[in-house]
Amino acid sequence: MHPGLEHYLVLSALIFCFGVYGLLTRRNLVAMLLCVELVLNAAALNFVAFHRFLFRGDPAGAVFPILIIAVAAAEAAVALAIVIALFRHRRNLDARAADTLHG
Amino acid sequence: MTIETFAFWMIAVYTLGAAYFVVTARNLFRCAVGLAATLIGIAGLYLLMDAQFLSAVQIAVYVGGVVVLVVFAILMVADVTQKEFLRSPLSRCLIASVVAELLLLIVCGAMLSQGFGTARPPQAAAQVGEIGRALLNTGPGGFVLPFEVISLVLVAALVGAITVAGKPGDDFEERGED
Repeated sequence: MHPGLEHYLVLSALIFCFGVYGLLTRRNLVAMLLCVELVLNAAALNFVAFHRFLFRGDPAGAVFPILIIAVAAAEAAVALAIVIALFRHRRNLDARAADTLHG
Repeated sequence: MTIETFAFWMIAVYTLGAAYFVVTARNLFRCAVGLAATLIGIAGLYLLMDAQFLSAVQIAVYVGGVVVLVVFAILMVADVTQKEFLRSPLSRCLIASVVAELLLLIVCGAMLSQGFGTARPPQAAAQVGEIGRALLNTGPGGFVLPFEVISLVLVAALVGAITVAGKPGDDFEERGED
């Protein structure tokens, strides 16, 4: 069957749900960050699919994935900085142990 | 079966397998390698959809930048020789899988019942020059404001990351007192 818009949408929904499942089950902060990256990529894939199959003349579908990638890079930098700072304090990366705001 | 169809199914299966590996692997380092594999698969899907520039950006920024950053962080904070890290109880995994499947059903149902219609008359997909002009276009339909905002966000995020992760005895206030 020739891949159409629906194929890409279902594929990105599957990747999105893998990411959500990982976010809910993982307890390690770095692993949770990797699952967030999956979710962001599923969103970007949707943008490109709509651009390819419905709105070819409109560059918006190609611009937004670039913005998503930039946001993901910024998010990864900040999240990993927090992870490193947290690791200095607590010596582990368990999301459940990190439930207080004061050091 | 054309070569494009074959490539789509191969890449789709490969990407889903790699994504599944990311959420289930027990070793953090393997998770990061799985993420790199997933991102390369998605870059392949971009190529299939005529988005060569996005595919190159995905490889250069994501696989070459973000994943390398994550691997550095893993090597700094985690003991990669340990076989397992903390896992959630089985009940939580079951609830999470039910939630994820319900979400999948809702999203797929909403998108497939929509009927997006057939493709518009064929035009070339946006190429690099067009994307660049759209990013710097100040008129209607231009993206110069998001472009500037994202630059600010990136600068703020990098300065914030350095401030948060810097060594406690090495912050800017103490340096100012010298």
